[in-house]
Amino acid sequence: MMAPRWRKAIRDIGERPGRSLLAVIAMAAGVSALGAMVFKYAILHPVLSNMYSDTRPASATLFTDGADDALLDSVRTVAGVADAEYRPMILARARVGADEWVPAILYVIRDFDHQRMDTFRPNDGAWPPAKGDVLLERSAVSVARARNGESLTLRTPGGDDHPLRVAGTVHAPGLAPAWMEHVVYGFVPWDSPVRGGGETAQVRIVVADHPLDEGYIRETADRVKALIERGGHAVTRVDVPAPGRHPHAAQMDTFMYLVGAFGILSFLLSAVLVASMIHGLLTEQLRQVGIMKAIGATTRQIAGIYLGQVALLAAASLLVGVPLGLLVGRSYARFSAGILNANITRTPFPLWALVLIVVTGVVVPLLVALVPVFRASRITVREALSDDLGPRPFGSSRFERMLAGITWLPRPLMLSLRTTFLRRGRLALTVGNLAVGGAVFIAALNVAGAWNRSVVQDFANRRYDLTVRLAERQSVDELGAALATLPSVAHAEFWPGATAYLVGANGVAGSPVPLLGLDPGSKLLALPLTAGRWLRPGDSTGVVVNAGMLALTPSLGVGDTLRLRLEGRTISFAVVGAVKEMAPMPVVYAPAGAVLEATGQSRDLSRVIRVVTREHTEAAQLAAAGEIERKFETIGFEVAGIQRMLDVRKGILDHLVIILTILTMAATIVVFVGGLALTSTLTINVVQRTREIGILSAIGATPRTISGHVWFEGVLIGVLSWFVAILLAAPVSWVLESVTGRMFFKAPLDFYMSPGAAGIWLVLVVVLASLSSFYPAWRAARLTVREAISHA
Amino acid sequence: MIRLQGVTKTYQTPAGDFPALRGIDLEIPAGQLVAVVGRSGSGKSTLLNMVAGIDRPSAGSVAVGGTPIQQLGHDRLAAWRGRTVGIVFQFFQLLPTLTVAENVMLPMDFCGTVPARERRKRALDLLTRVEVAEQADKLPSALSGGQQQRVAIARSLANDPPVILADEPTGNLDSTTSEAIFRLFGDLARDGKTVVIVTHEREAVSGAVRTVTLADGRVAS
Repeated sequence: MMAPRWRKAIRDIGERPGRSLLAVIAMAAGVSALGAMVFKYAILHPVLSNMYSDTRPASATLFTDGADDALLDSVRTVAGVADAEYRPMILARARVGADEWVPAILYVIRDFDHQRMDTFRPNDGAWPPAKGDVLLERSAVSVARARNGESLTLRTPGGDDHPLRVAGTVHAPGLAPAWMEHVVYGFVPWDSPVRGGGETAQVRIVVADHPLDEGYIRETADRVKALIERGGHAVTRVDVPAPGRHPHAAQMDTFMYLVGAFGILSFLLSAVLVASMIHGLLTEQLRQVGIMKAIGATTRQIAGIYLGQVALLAAASLLVGVPLGLLVGRSYARFSAGILNANITRTPFPLWALVLIVVTGVVVPLLVALVPVFRASRITVREALSDDLGPRPFGSSRFERMLAGITWLPRPLMLSLRTTFLRRGRLALTVGNLAVGGAVFIAALNVAGAWNRSVVQDFANRRYDLTVRLAERQSVDELGAALATLPSVAHAEFWPGATAYLVGANGVAGSPVPLLGLDPGSKLLALPLTAGRWLRPGDSTGVVVNAGMLALTPSLGVGDTLRLRLEGRTISFAVVGAVKEMAPMPVVYAPAGAVLEATGQSRDLSRVIRVVTREHTEAAQLAAAGEIERKFETIGFEVAGIQRMLDVRKGILDHLVIILTILTMAATIVVFVGGLALTSTLTINVVQRTREIGILSAIGATPRTISGHVWFEGVLIGVLSWFVAILLAAPVSWVLESVTGRMFFKAPLDFYMSPGAAGIWLVLVVVLASLSSFYPAWRAARLTVREAISHA
Repeated sequence: MIRLQGVTKTYQTPAGDFPALRGIDLEIPAGQLVAVVGRSGSGKSTLLNMVAGIDRPSAGSVAVGGTPIQQLGHDRLAAWRGRTVGIVFQFFQLLPTLTVAENVMLPMDFCGTVPARERRKRALDLLTRVEVAEQADKLPSALSGGQQQRVAIARSLANDPPVILADEPTGNLDSTTSEAIFRLFGDLARDGKTVVIVTHEREAVSGAVRTVTLADGRVAS
């Protein structure tokens, strides 16, 4: 038979179903937020960890001018090499409209059924593809605008067009999603008609030991490079991707950081709300605490009853919160998987996650309830049974006396205003809860705004509209003359460039670094300086580095020497400045003359053109690209690709969708918890002011007036929280803008506070306060004078 | 049995110190029914609170059954009170979410004086004694004021304490019910309990062996 005290614990929960429901919802919101985070991690993490490693990613890729089976066999015998594969790559273009082309990367596969590394699996359609077929990476279908069975025209280096049949799609988890990169990834068979010129030969290797040791991989790759060169082939480049890291690992880290931070924040807020609710409950129960003590209950026994109640409410919240968290976590894992081109496979149910959530969901509410419960349980019988249990009399502090001095407000509003500030501890909790929700909401809009502004500003700093890449170097004079005939082209510049290799302190060439040469007087690039100065006419070895370069070599600064390996030579440059740009990759900007000299290129020839169009709209850029394409075709200059800057900008802004989704989801949960806190506070206030409400009714206040008081109190708290939210939003936005900027671009986003965000939140908080005050206002209006006056 | 020596109680209020009791010396032998009477504000309830250990004297000492209760800590005092003193309040103070029987069982639950499986039987016996056994499984809200006070008396007897303290036990009841309640207290005293009743109904406590009158915090007679 259950002891009476435990029966009391259970029945007290049922006695106030509204408030118990609020507490359960508040805790369930926290549990589901935490659950979503933990379940998402538990579901996605193993998938992502295995997904990339399951493709047996190449440790290094060596770009050569050719290879054969004998060479491959030799490479496989190099010390440290576990396996090697020859996989030619074709940098082509796919026709997606009449005059519209997008970059395409075609991988030539010798045996689709026996892949050695960087593996991919059939997704749908034919497998393996026939001679005239291409298999698209599944995320490239939308970029190629071609479905299975349709024809896709691919223009290969040399300018030949090859209509290939899209025979099916594959899943290549090691590639970044094509829709995000705006590139078509395709896989063609060894006898594909697209072969026959312009191929980039690639020898890929997987190291035998220490697969995550970049130094070891580079040493092994150097040995392979030497072997290939001894075999009579040139090695133009060695790529060593970050070992074990998916191309979008940085994005995954950002998601995890954001989701984790908001999951914990939401849970803690709901825990604070629970503490506030328990405090309210105990305030109401103080007389009963006194009675129980009068009949022999000890502090510990009383505390046990109320902690038991908290445990029961927490258990009930788990029944709602855990399935909801699992549902949201699964959906979010699926959503994230889509972004990362991953598949959620059937994995064993993450029991550890369930245990973690259940334990946290019970222990944390108990911990936060400990202080209010023990404080209430320690009350003496006399204090508990005395009639003056309410808050101290109004007017005992200077602030309250100041409030009392405000006499020009209508009397009912004055009453609400004074009552709001009477219980300042609870007011602070409610305002704090709502303000954090508001701050996150405002910060979400601020981050979106900052992201948008930073990217738009960055592209405004690049004052050209198109980057035209040619298959071969052509005469600058002829190119200039041809472009001058096009009405849509306003200006063009020819920037030499090369891929250099960063030379480390040990003299070994490491990471590839794009080196871009431009006329110091050029107006087409105006990146903001973060240190030093921009290039000047007369600079011969002075270079400017971007934030990505500084992230790659944190010790590098203005005044330091930067050593780059170019065409087999090591050249030293003096770093004269650093610039900020929204690009994750490192770039070194040097005077055009210095790049030409270092690379041995001729000033009279170029294969990359920066074009400024007369108008800068998307249509103008598209039209100009078409004109250039046709003009160059006429004069026999093969175009390898035309990149529209608005397209590139759109691609970067597309990443914003993900960040915004996370922030909006987080803000919704936090705002929801804040709304519950407000409802809870107002309900408790109504309960504690029952006598007062009775007196008001007795002296003529209508139910409408009384519910109006409660509503006004809610709105007042909401507006107060709005002020605090504005103050909190600034640091929260700064942190988020800084963190997301650094994760994506290696540089913080420019701090930005959206002027509209505060206004939107003010409107929302008033609506939220009105909704939250509905139940307490309704409850207050329903009280009869007799009920109110007899309330003990 | 109950001994108060030089008990003074002064409350600090915003309006200044308020002396509720001024040097009370009082002895109540075991098994006596004592009525404490006086006007509102004379210190009757404060006196009762001192005996129950609900409040502590500013000066002087209170001993119940030889135990100097001001020397007991918070929790020991609660446990002592549960076993030694049964309290009956003016507004009954039954816990609203427990049934009548459960309210009576609650002190046994807290103090562990009766084995768990025997508690309900003892509760029913006590309710029978106060003539409300048929209400055992109802909630207090379903009972009349007189019935609730009988339940409160049954609850005060749950742990078989030697002392019963009642603070205005009939203040909320009609005269017929009040008489019945006082008769019940008389029966308890005859059974050997020390009963102290604070009341303003001087005439109603017909069975009282002794009446202590308080005026302005002092024993007037």
